[in-house]
Amino acid sequence: MTKREWKQLVAVVALVAVIALALRESASSRVEIPAGRSEVVFWHFWGGKDRPVVEEICRRFNASQQEFFVRPIAMPGNNLDLKFFLSVAGGDPPDLLNQDDPIVADWAHRGALVPLDELTSLTEIDELSKWLFPAAREIGSYNGRMVALCNGLDIRALYYNGDLLAEHNLSPPKTIAELDHAARTIAPPGDASLTRYGYLPDPRRLWSWGIVFGGEFYHPSSGHVTADSPQVIAALDWMASYSRDYGADQVARYRKGDQALPGAAFPLLEGRYAMLMDGQWRVSEIAAVQEAARKRGEAVPNYGVVPLPALPDGRKNAGWVNGNFFVVPRGAKNPRGAWAFMKFWSGFDGHEDEAARACTAGGWIPASQHVVEQPRFQEYLNRHPMFRTFVELAASPNQRPTPAVPGAQFFQDEVTRAAEDAIYRSLPAEQALTEATRRIQTRLEAERDAPQ
Amino acid sequence: MEHSTRHRRRQLRQLTAALPFLAPWLIGFATLIAYPFIASLFWSFTSYDMLSPPEFVGVENYRRLAEEFVRGERFGLAVWNTVYFALVSVPLSIVLGVALAVMLSWNIRGRAVYRTLFFLPSVVPAVASSVLWLWLLDPQAGLVNYLLTGAGLSGPGWFNSTAEAAWPLAWFRGTWGFGSKDALVLMSLWGVGNFMIIYLAALGDVPVQLYEAAELDGAGPLRRFWHVTLPLLTPVIFFNLVMGLIHAVQAFTQVYIVSEGQGAPAGSTLMLSLYVFLAAFKYLEMGYASAIAWSMFVLIVLATWGLFRSSRYWVFDPSGARL
Repeated sequence: MTKREWKQLVAVVALVAVIALALRESASSRVEIPAGRSEVVFWHFWGGKDRPVVEEICRRFNASQQEFFVRPIAMPGNNLDLKFFLSVAGGDPPDLLNQDDPIVADWAHRGALVPLDELTSLTEIDELSKWLFPAAREIGSYNGRMVALCNGLDIRALYYNGDLLAEHNLSPPKTIAELDHAARTIAPPGDASLTRYGYLPDPRRLWSWGIVFGGEFYHPSSGHVTADSPQVIAALDWMASYSRDYGADQVARYRKGDQALPGAAFPLLEGRYAMLMDGQWRVSEIAAVQEAARKRGEAVPNYGVVPLPALPDGRKNAGWVNGNFFVVPRGAKNPRGAWAFMKFWSGFDGHEDEAARACTAGGWIPASQHVVEQPRFQEYLNRHPMFRTFVELAASPNQRPTPAVPGAQFFQDEVTRAAEDAIYRSLPAEQALTEATRRIQTRLEAERDAPQ
Repeated sequence: MEHSTRHRRRQLRQLTAALPFLAPWLIGFATLIAYPFIASLFWSFTSYDMLSPPEFVGVENYRRLAEEFVRGERFGLAVWNTVYFALVSVPLSIVLGVALAVMLSWNIRGRAVYRTLFFLPSVVPAVASSVLWLWLLDPQAGLVNYLLTGAGLSGPGWFNSTAEAAWPLAWFRGTWGFGSKDALVLMSLWGVGNFMIIYLAALGDVPVQLYEAAELDGAGPLRRFWHVTLPLLTPVIFFNLVMGLIHAVQAFTQVYIVSEGQGAPAGSTLMLSLYVFLAAFKYLEMGYASAIAWSMFVLIVLATWGLFRSSRYWVFDPSGARL
């Protein structure tokens, strides 16, 4: 052999070795499916500290029975919707997906989802429908048919710093007027160098305040977008009043500063606000801060939470709600296994205690009152009284999700943009919302006319 | 006759030998570039959501684009943002690139170190540098505004502001300020090292005798730069201008990251490429997205054609031939 041939031989051997190693590697990273079980490929969006909780649920499910085996695949980040949709379009979807974006209607409209009544009997669907909280039912429905199973709700309420309120002789606000008064007492307008605000509205929260002000964003029976209804306009105009008082630019900058906090820290705990709307996931952060203070032997900071303040004679316990839900894609190879796991996690059909266990481990709000009533969950509520406010709100009929229409994501983005225009760019609320409504309506009609 | 048959046979043999070697590229080109290119033209005349078969809708997608353009909504906004970004960032990057290259061609101590330092940012991955700039330009906690405040200036809102520093009308309206697109321009200038390297190479090609002749004629350093260096750089400037323009119109990665994936705030960073992505994969309108992509293509072709037409007036060609 010549030197050149030797070199070639070595190169070929090296290449084969690399490929063989790579194949070995990918083979060994696959989970072993026990014999006689069928695999359920489960994609989900949970990351961070929630991921081990999800893996534990899967482990318990796998240990609980002999027929199916769930293999969880975590896909946190922005593009799960895209990956999922492309997998359906490409004909190789997972068996089950857990997600929390407003995409149920879009996908159901395009026939990408298996309706739940194809997975089980209509009687069971009826029972399920009664079993769920109203908001959870609405999140999973499209055109009167259940196409997704909600397994947890995200509820927002008004957190407050009790020490700060007490300092100014204020109590937690129950009405919009009280909220305004408290906000402006703590941070008097006219001072450009404020380092703490009483309250500042977040444009994304128009969805909540619009409902609190008595508005609706969509009228299902007529199919009309009503984001320009007088109540929603009044809500946005009220939100923009903070920009008028403090200056739009100043508000925008200050809010941007919240996002720059390391690790998405809760701005209320950083002392940036006296009151702030946020979801139930902040309860555990507050508890951790209080616990740390207790351990150090310092005064325990006083935080609390109340339902969103209302207008006089207005909607109580109102707000925008979203949730995480299961969907089974068209083309799923193991829909029966998927259905079994969905019931196990959500707690339906006798699995309430399992669901309570999952919710207490993750600090999640169940999708059903039956799970809330479990002793395990009640005990959790006793330990975390702040959480109770959220769980009580979950049962309220005034908690409304994003309308279940095709293009819901567009709908949501447009409304948020209109709110940004009014709050940060001083566009009149009515103009911003009228224009957004026209665009959403046009888009919605185009979707409805599109071929299925 | 016989000769030409033999010749043709040999050519055929060569081709069959060459084809397997060319195949990976040919297959890649056909499936990943040529097919999507042609398919997207077809889809731009359809309503297509990737699940159901595309349905022909004629010029409806283009009509919608025209409507949005006229109203100054999404597509109109995206065209404006893209044009603004390209028109501000490309000329600035040329001026800065040439200036840096000229300075780094001087015989100064540590020249190689400076050259490396100025080139370094252009090898930093776009995602990493975008996140870095997000922090640097944070209006509240960012280093840039911290320094500006220290110097007694009020720092701009950067990525949180819709202001447009280079828009002349804003100068009179009193809404002048540095906003999200200006921050993007700043980010793009940070990566000017790529252009600088090409200018540096071109500077090395300028014949020394031209400088000597100019010097004998009494030309000072500025006149030498203006009448010798710059004209000889114009072919390279032209190249960078065309490439820079195409890149600017296609800007995506940085835009996606700083705009929270949706052109925030208030659509001020909604560029054409981001709009294509949103329409296709967030709103599931592949047909409409294809129409945007083709409009973008036409925009790039027109701009490039315009540049080529203009080149005969300002691009110097030592061989005397016109481009």
